[in-house]
Amino acid sequence: MKRGDFRPSGLFKALAIAAIAFVAAPAADAQESKGRVRVAILADINNYDPQQFLTVNFPIIKNLYDSLIEYTPDGKAVPSLASAWTIAPDNKSVALTLRKDVKFQSGAPFNAAAVDATLKKAADPQRGKNVYATMSIVKDWKVADDYAITVNFKAPAPDKQITDLLQFISIIDPAGIDTVETKPAGTGAYMLGERVTGQRIRLVANPHYWREKEPVSGEVVLTIFSDDAAATAALESGAVDMVYGGSARSAVRLRGAGYQLVQGPGPLVQVFRINSTRGPFRNEKFRQAFNHLMDRANMLRVGYAGLGEAVALPWAPASPAFDKSYNEKYPFDLDKAKALLSASGLSAAEMSNWKLLVNGGDEPSVVLSQIVQNTLGRVGIKIDLDMKQGSEFVDSMLGGKFDAMFGAIGNIQKFPSRLATNSIYRTSGNPVLGDPNPHKDYVAAIERVNAAFGADVKASYDNLNQVLVKDAFGVPTNTYDSALMVAAKNLSGFTLDIDNMLVARTLGMKP
Amino acid sequence: MSAALIRHVLRRPGALAGSLFLLVLILVAVFADALPIDPLGQDLIASLEPPSAAHWFGVDELGRDIMARVVYGARTSLFTAAGAVLIAGAVGVPIGLVAGFFGGWRDALLMRFVDVLLALPGILFAMAMIAVLGRSQAAALVAVGVTGIPSFARVTRAQVLSLRKRDFVAAVEAFGGTATYSMFRTVLPNAWSPILVQVVVLSSVAILLEAALSFLGVGIPPPTPSWGEMLRTGKAYLHDAPHYAVLPGLVLTLTILSLDAIGRALAGALEQRQDVSVGLGASGGRP
Repeated sequence: MKRGDFRPSGLFKALAIAAIAFVAAPAADAQESKGRVRVAILADINNYDPQQFLTVNFPIIKNLYDSLIEYTPDGKAVPSLASAWTIAPDNKSVALTLRKDVKFQSGAPFNAAAVDATLKKAADPQRGKNVYATMSIVKDWKVADDYAITVNFKAPAPDKQITDLLQFISIIDPAGIDTVETKPAGTGAYMLGERVTGQRIRLVANPHYWREKEPVSGEVVLTIFSDDAAATAALESGAVDMVYGGSARSAVRLRGAGYQLVQGPGPLVQVFRINSTRGPFRNEKFRQAFNHLMDRANMLRVGYAGLGEAVALPWAPASPAFDKSYNEKYPFDLDKAKALLSASGLSAAEMSNWKLLVNGGDEPSVVLSQIVQNTLGRVGIKIDLDMKQGSEFVDSMLGGKFDAMFGAIGNIQKFPSRLATNSIYRTSGNPVLGDPNPHKDYVAAIERVNAAFGADVKASYDNLNQVLVKDAFGVPTNTYDSALMVAAKNLSGFTLDIDNMLVARTLGMKP
Repeated sequence: MSAALIRHVLRRPGALAGSLFLLVLILVAVFADALPIDPLGQDLIASLEPPSAAHWFGVDELGRDIMARVVYGARTSLFTAAGAVLIAGAVGVPIGLVAGFFGGWRDALLMRFVDVLLALPGILFAMAMIAVLGRSQAAALVAVGVTGIPSFARVTRAQVLSLRKRDFVAAVEAFGGTATYSMFRTVLPNAWSPILVQVVVLSSVAILLEAALSFLGVGIPPPTPSWGEMLRTGKAYLHDAPHYAVLPGLVLTLTILSLDAIGRALAGALEQRQDVSVGLGASGGRP
């Protein structure tokens, strides 16, 4: 039988299309679709707080809010709500000039007071959410006038770290800051038109938006689909114009069928996380063996349909610390792995005395875990998979109740010390490795990166990379895009966000 | 089961075909280790290759032979079904026997317990049990087994209730037979027929339930082969590799259909035998 000989029947397709048409009913009227972009997403949003950088909120954050500055796909900082910024010669402060022609969706003016209120929230350990850790470099800030504000740092901060901070902060209307989780309060190109929990979110154009000729489309409808197959079938049937955040396999298939596949510059890196405080993982040589036990090329091909890049370090190619030579230094090599396992001095029973925690709800993680399990079997290590799902998995992951597991990390295309915002890489308050962090060389390497200027910058990155493979409490395997965009041929105007969030303001349907 | 009963069952074409299919399935499942197949060996380069001379059912995303996994999956399914039936029968039959034989408060108490079990949807109950026991083959087996207890209890009770009033039971008691003797030596041996049918019915339910649990991601954890797990994973590759989900699904369907055909034939045969027996009684066949 030739590959692809068997296809779902016409009846099956008809039923699928009918079901999709029912789900996407509010967006299905062809007449109404003018000026409207219909996007399929695979999970409902959690809330409207732009400081909670949850992946499920990625479809809305950049549409309801604007940040102080933006990055181009190649990492160059460009103005947004801050029309200009000047970093002091000693790198201990940055002076921001704010745009004067911006209004919040409530009609209130955007000004320094709004930035002040937003920074206060970000600096609050309770309210700052995911931005709080990034604010750790900030000492204080001073409002100079209605449209100028200066942010002071505790110590000289590298330029990239400063621009990362400015790009990370989306400004919230002070009047709505206390209710921002339930009611959006931004300056973004779109306003919330309607939300039917678990079904759809309708965004309508902000008539006072400050960017010229944007948003292009009057309405964006985000329809929530229960699974990837339903979302892709919706795209194929014409019920939606784009699938955001679908699987790599579907994306590759649809690309082959003529759909547009758009990949952003902000991938995640899949990391084999090792709890170095438990069992055989206390042994450094044993951990280092895992640098050679990852069949990265095949993991990428089988787990992510080849969309991504095999990496031995936790950086995206756009990161200043990215070093491709490590892929050659730490290849998949069972002989090298066996030598390190032997050097560990552990017995076969000790080496097998652990379980691999698996997120059963994430198919690529299940695939990768089974590949590793099989590879370990080839070097005489027999382990079981500890399958968990939902809150049970999250509890184990964030509570450090695991020996090893696969988990993605983000912020890997920005300033290298941002790596430490990911739980396994935290230098303090690490939920897996505890306090004080047992990897002192790693903590020192991050501190050196934060303090490096001039000629020491490159050396500090090299040092960090060497420490990462030596301590080996996180063994990266590949980059992947958790926010792939697969779109109909007549959708145009993609704006690529550095974090791969959905930017809908430039999207429009070609006639 | 008597030879006559087996002959009667096999006289039906559906039951005969089903029996042959199940026989082959049981044989390959039992002797799988002797076959030149490996359900766990990965060949990542061959990922999702369609059926070929080397791999009759094709290979899965990890390059594992799907036929080997179907064969070993049969072992998982049949073992789960057998274990579940054993648990359900070992608990359900005594409950039905005691409830039906003694009646009164014991009947009321035991049947309310059964009603409680029956009120809980089987799959939800099994999922709750797995949440408590953890994901493993043993947990799936126990979960499926517990959900089968009510059906065994009710069938046994109904049969015991009708037998309890029969003359031969009264005769045993009149001759000094104890309640335990009557229950186990007189009533139970005569109540086996519907229980036997129930064994077949519950076997198919158990296989389906185990597959459903695996399909939902709470059954037997990978890499242990399981038909439900194969369907679950294969679903994601339906466009690229339809053989992945279709072929295990086909084997699962044929297994259920086979058990159903045997169950129906068995029930028909037992019903016919009962009719004959009742007929003989009415025409004065007994003294």
